[in-house]
Formats: sequence, C-alpha cells, structure tokens
Amino acid sequence: MSDDIDVKLEQEVAEFYQSLGIHQGPGDIQYRLILKVLSRNEGKVTEFSEIREYTDKFADKGSIGSKMKTVFQLEGLAEKVKRGGYIITDKGLTASNFLKDTTAFYKKNKRMGEIIERMP
Amino acid sequence: MSAGLLLNATICFAITISSFAFAWVLARGGPEHNDKSKPALWSLIILWLLVGLTYLPTTVRMIAAYLDYPQIDIIMYYVAAVPFSFVAVPLVFFILYVIIGDQRISGYISFLFVLFGTAYLVLLYSSGVIGPTITPLTSLFTINSDIAINIYLIGLFVIPTAMIIGLLFLIFLQRMPKRLRYRTALPLVAISFVFDFMLTDMITLDDAMQLAARIFVLIGTVQAFLAYFPPMTLQEKLGIQKYEYNLYKKDDDQDFDEDDEEEATINV
Repeated sequence: MSDDIDVKLEQEVAEFYQSLGIHQGPGDIQYRLILKVLSRNEGKVTEFSEIREYTDKFADKGSIGSKMKTVFQLEGLAEKVKRGGYIITDKGLTASNFLKDTTAFYKKNKRMGEIIERMP
Repeated sequence: MSAGLLLNATICFAITISSFAFAWVLARGGPEHNDKSKPALWSLIILWLLVGLTYLPTTVRMIAAYLDYPQIDIIMYYVAAVPFSFVAVPLVFFILYVIIGDQRISGYISFLFVLFGTAYLVLLYSSGVIGPTITPLTSLFTINSDIAINIYLIGLFVIPTAMIIGLLFLIFLQRMPKRLRYRTALPLVAISFVFDFMLTDMITLDDAMQLAARIFVLIGTVQAFLAYFPPMTLQEKLGIQKYEYNLYKKDDDQDFDEDDEEEATINV
C-alpha cells in the first residue's frame, strides 16, 4: 500500500507551493499526506497509525493529532468514527481532488520550466 | 540578362549574410548560456550556418544565370543541395532536445534525418535535374526523381514542421510571462518561416513564387534576429521590456516608521 503515495513527490510539491508563499493547504506537507492517506482509504476507516507511517518523518504525533482536530475535523474534511479511526467526507474528497490538481499544476509548471531552461 | 535576376541574387546574398551574422552572434553569446541550453544553442547555430551555406551558392547561381553561365549554375545547384538536405538535422535535434531534454535520444532521432538527407542527395545526384530554365526573375531546375521529392517533402519538411507546430502549441497553451512567451515562440515562428519557405523555394516551378519565397526566408531571418535582440521600441510596444531596478536597501520596518517620524517632527 505504501507505494501508492510518493512522499518525496509530495514533499517537492509542498516545497514548490511554499516557495510561492502558500504555506497552508497545498504547501503543507502534513496536510497533503494526511489527505492522501484518507482519500486512498475512501469508504474505509483510516487508522491514525496508518497516517503516521507517512507523517512521522515530518512531524510528531502531537502535531498530526492537532492537525486532524483543528483542520480536518473542524472543517468537516474527515470524521472521527472511533478512537484513532477517521473516515473521509465528501468535502474531504473535494479537497483531495483539489490536491491532485495542485500536483498536476506543479508537474506541468516544472516541465515547462525545464523546456524554457533548455531554450537558448 | 535581367534586373530581376540581380534582385534575386541580392536577396539570396542578404539571406546568406544575415544567417551567418546571426549564427556568429549566437555563437559569441554562447558562454552566457547555461549547460542545459548549450546543446540547443549549438544546433541552432548549425541550423543558421546551413541556411547561409544553402543561399551562398544560390547567390552565385543567380549571378551565373545573369551572366549566362549555365554550367556554373548547375554546379552551384548541386553544391547548394548538400547543406540544404541536412537543414532538418539540427532543427529536429533542437526541437527534440528542448522538449525531452535527452541529448542521446535527440541525437539518434536526428541521425535518422541524416539518412533522409543522404537518400535525397543520392537520388538527386543519380537522377539529375532538368534545367536551368532562365526566366526574367530566376533560374529554375526540375528534380528528375519523384522519390527524391517525396523524401524531401515527408522526411525533410513535414515531420520537422509538425514538430515546430507541436512545440508552439505547447508554449501557447501554457500561461507564462509575456516576455518569456515572446522569447520562446518567436524564434520558433522564425525558424518555421525560413524552413517552410526554403521548401517552396526549392520545389517551385514558378519564378515569381520562388522570389516571393526567398523574400519570406529573408523576413524569417530578420524575425529570428528580433526574437533574440528585440529593439527597445518593440519591447515597449509589446510590453516585454525588462524593468531595470536596484533593491531597496532600507529595512521594511523603518519604512513604516518614516511617516511617524515626519509627523513627530511637525508636532514638535
């Protein structure tokens, strides 16, 4: 399962958005990874430990828990269905689709940047 | 002897000089380019050199036609055919390298066009040409091989032109700063102009059309110059000039305080 989410790419994309001054949402690696794991488990319960498999490299347990509460639960992107168990909502899936668009935009922009770099 | 032939020779000479000058200017600016753009830069330099080398013997041809030396005319036609048949090679390399960024793959594919060019030359030399037909405007030859014309059309022109159009679309579909768009799209339009009108020039059997094609090749060369070295008036008109500025040294915090300081001075 872990090969579904390319952590390195997500980090690159987040750094790209941070470089544009966007530090929240698409520019936040924690947000990206949490949403990726939640959307991958669409229709199923996502264990907190599963999220931490990806986020431990970037943040401690506390800040991920806090993000789950203050962003995902508060904005209705995910709902807590049991202790340490979350399920993505329709709104969360919309956010996930938006995240996919941000990755596509990053790739397109990178490819074009490289083309321009090669133009004499 | 007709003044039209001299005009034709002058246009060919202008194309030669401007292509060589452009190649030289590009080569001189080589050190300013980064390592990634250098392969594309050198292919562009070779392309313009080949354009110049095609039109140099063509200039001699027109003068020979004017002075009524058909033998020189035919020799120069064969000489001009050599650089002409390899014009597609640097062009294909340039476009492929810019798009995919792999020097090796671009090299292999452009080698395919070396084969196309060689096949064209072999067929051209073995089948020969019919002519010259001297008209008041130009001297025309007819290629005596249909296969050579087909190779020439499909291999040397249709594929490279399709590549240019593809790259242009890629650029136009992207949102990018006006300056960058101008800098990337105009050289491609210029190359396409030169390339396509060279095709018309070589296969047409109509003297007026050939002269018009040569004028457009010259326009294309000028366009390429404008793409790389746009004059200030054009930059202002298109809104692509680079604003020259120096960084403001003072701290931002102090900026906000300045008004307060002024007020404080007035109050005192």
